[in-house]
Amino acid sequence: MRILKLELKRILTTRTTWILLGIALILSVCMAYIPTTFYASEYTDENGNQVRLSGLKAFQYQKSQKAGLEGEVTPKKVRDALEAYQNCLNEYGVKDTYDLPEGVYGERIAPYTSLIHGLKEAFADPKTGMAPSLMEIDLEKAEDFYSKCDERIVTLMEAEQRDHPAAQEKAVSMYHKVEKPFTFYLAGSDSNRMDYQLLLSFMILLFCTVIAAPVFSSEYQTGADDILRCTKHGRGRLGMLKIISAMCICGTAFALCSAVYIIISNCLFGWEAVKTSIQMIFSAMNLADINMGQLQTATALAGLLCVLASVSLTLFLSSRTKNMVMSIAVSLLFCFLPVIIYVAMPNDLGTWLNCIIPTGGLGMQSSFLYAMADFEFLNVGDFALWTPDAYLFFEAVAIPLLIGLTIHSYSTHKIK
Amino acid sequence: MELYVNNVSKQFKDKRAVDHVTLNITPGVWGLLGANGAGKTTLMRMIAGIMKPTSGRIEYDGIPIDRLKDEYRDIFGYLPQEFGFYPEFTVKNYLEYVSALKGLTAKESRRRISDLLEQLTLTNVCNKKIAKLSGGMKRRVGIAQALLNDPEVLILDEPTSGLDPAERVRFRNLLSEFARDHIVLISTHIVPDVEYIATRNAVMKDGRLISTGTTEELVKLVDGKVWSAMIPTKYLPEYEQKLRIVNLRNEGDDQVSIRYLSERPRTEDSVPAVPRLEDLYLWLFPQDTLEREG
Repeated sequence: MRILKLELKRILTTRTTWILLGIALILSVCMAYIPTTFYASEYTDENGNQVRLSGLKAFQYQKSQKAGLEGEVTPKKVRDALEAYQNCLNEYGVKDTYDLPEGVYGERIAPYTSLIHGLKEAFADPKTGMAPSLMEIDLEKAEDFYSKCDERIVTLMEAEQRDHPAAQEKAVSMYHKVEKPFTFYLAGSDSNRMDYQLLLSFMILLFCTVIAAPVFSSEYQTGADDILRCTKHGRGRLGMLKIISAMCICGTAFALCSAVYIIISNCLFGWEAVKTSIQMIFSAMNLADINMGQLQTATALAGLLCVLASVSLTLFLSSRTKNMVMSIAVSLLFCFLPVIIYVAMPNDLGTWLNCIIPTGGLGMQSSFLYAMADFEFLNVGDFALWTPDAYLFFEAVAIPLLIGLTIHSYSTHKIK
Repeated sequence: MELYVNNVSKQFKDKRAVDHVTLNITPGVWGLLGANGAGKTTLMRMIAGIMKPTSGRIEYDGIPIDRLKDEYRDIFGYLPQEFGFYPEFTVKNYLEYVSALKGLTAKESRRRISDLLEQLTLTNVCNKKIAKLSGGMKRRVGIAQALLNDPEVLILDEPTSGLDPAERVRFRNLLSEFARDHIVLISTHIVPDVEYIATRNAVMKDGRLISTGTTEELVKLVDGKVWSAMIPTKYLPEYEQKLRIVNLRNEGDDQVSIRYLSERPRTEDSVPAVPRLEDLYLWLFPQDTLEREG
């Protein structure tokens, strides 16, 4: 315990560490606030004056507009929303909202958009997947929204997982377990909040990488390792304690920053929004039976697992590198590797690789969060693994594996 | 208590740094002498167990150190040539950290650190960051960490580099006392540091051990090869060309007293001088520079 305490003290007294941890905490507060700035509203007041609102005021205005729409998304609410939409466009004799006079969209359509956004997906052509325009959807059938969703998931998965019946079956089974009717709150359907949580997580991952990368390599470089290696506990035990302390610092930093982000974000937007079904955030067809609050928590926990796996990888690289700059550079490369893979390999191989590499869960394009909103599976014969589960599985396997390799690498480090 | 270097060699890609060295190190101060590249540091790193010999093995009390593992490290203290430290740590924090790694209890650690800080005159800077200390102070912190566990085997690679003369004297006294019942192996370029305190010396050249013995035994190798003479100052450049002058001193009246190495006297008034270990060193490693006084 004494060595662990001293090792923690050593890392925490490193200037770079506390500067990065300080920045991470400030970023958590700032990034929780940024999504509030995306709200803007315009309306005409009782005196006929045009009023423009932005930020939290605009959000509160939009929330008041949707006061009666929040809560359970009943089939009747969906029908009423579609009716309001179609009536408005018919009234102005247009086929698209772009053709509406200025201000009309904001006042008459915008309040309903969240409720009708899933209709297009549910009523898409089963063969082509082409979505109809909202004006083409029969008002009387709108109340069949949920049964249409249950039908549509089958054809959607046939298209998404054409050659993998196991994946199709699993997806349909998952979707049937999704609680319906969905629940909707304006703030809960704001995907920006989730995007910013992911962005924050990725930035903390970068900071953790910079903190962890020199743990072994800087000691090789400065020669400090020569002294430590000659002490009684200076090999396996010290290696283990260095790993534990790096993991503790990075894990705590990530958990703390994620908690700060979630608490501030929910305080700004209102805690009731956490009940929003994720089908109201991304796609009505999303397979997970969770709400926004659970998604925030799952993203944070999966992020924590990813950070721990990534730090394990970084420590392993550090134990294999004799130069601090090299260990930081290679470790950072691994942080950006998911983006490179996503762009360079937009196929099954890319999906596999991104699930396997420890940093994949917080990739900016192919993360655990986006996997939750997607319909991808890793298929091996008759076995199908949903990609969010795959991220968690591979990260959980990577942590002990990489820790073991790091301890072995550090303990046996000798100039050959 | 015996450290046995048994026919140890170390081959790097294109160089044999240590070539079949056999050395039986017993309690006392051992001086390891040799020019740069002689293989001293490589040999010490192998004794420290942080470098693997290409062939041969190192034994402590008859057991290979590879097999002893942390039992060996428990009785071992090491100061490498390049003292890598944590810049963020204060002297005290650093010594606490190393003492914890050496398995000292918190109480033992406090007592030992306090003693060493005093012995090495570091008490006043114990709360200063190591990065802010002078080179000599850093070196003393390095020596302190090596002594923390009162090691049976103490290996010091160039421990006196950066120390001022007073610090060197204090260090020599500290080691002399310490080495009574411990094995101390010191590698240094500063020959007088080991000359006064080493019970035995080992001389390395091009990776090989070329001689071992007490200082008295070793200096006999240059007996009759050390001369002193007075020469006119104006002829000094000429003599510097043709003689291996190891020391010179201006005596006034345009006269210079020189000490030089040669198989035979090279000036008419040359007289034999009492050889010192440094003379042997310079005889064996002629590329090293001479010392000037006055």
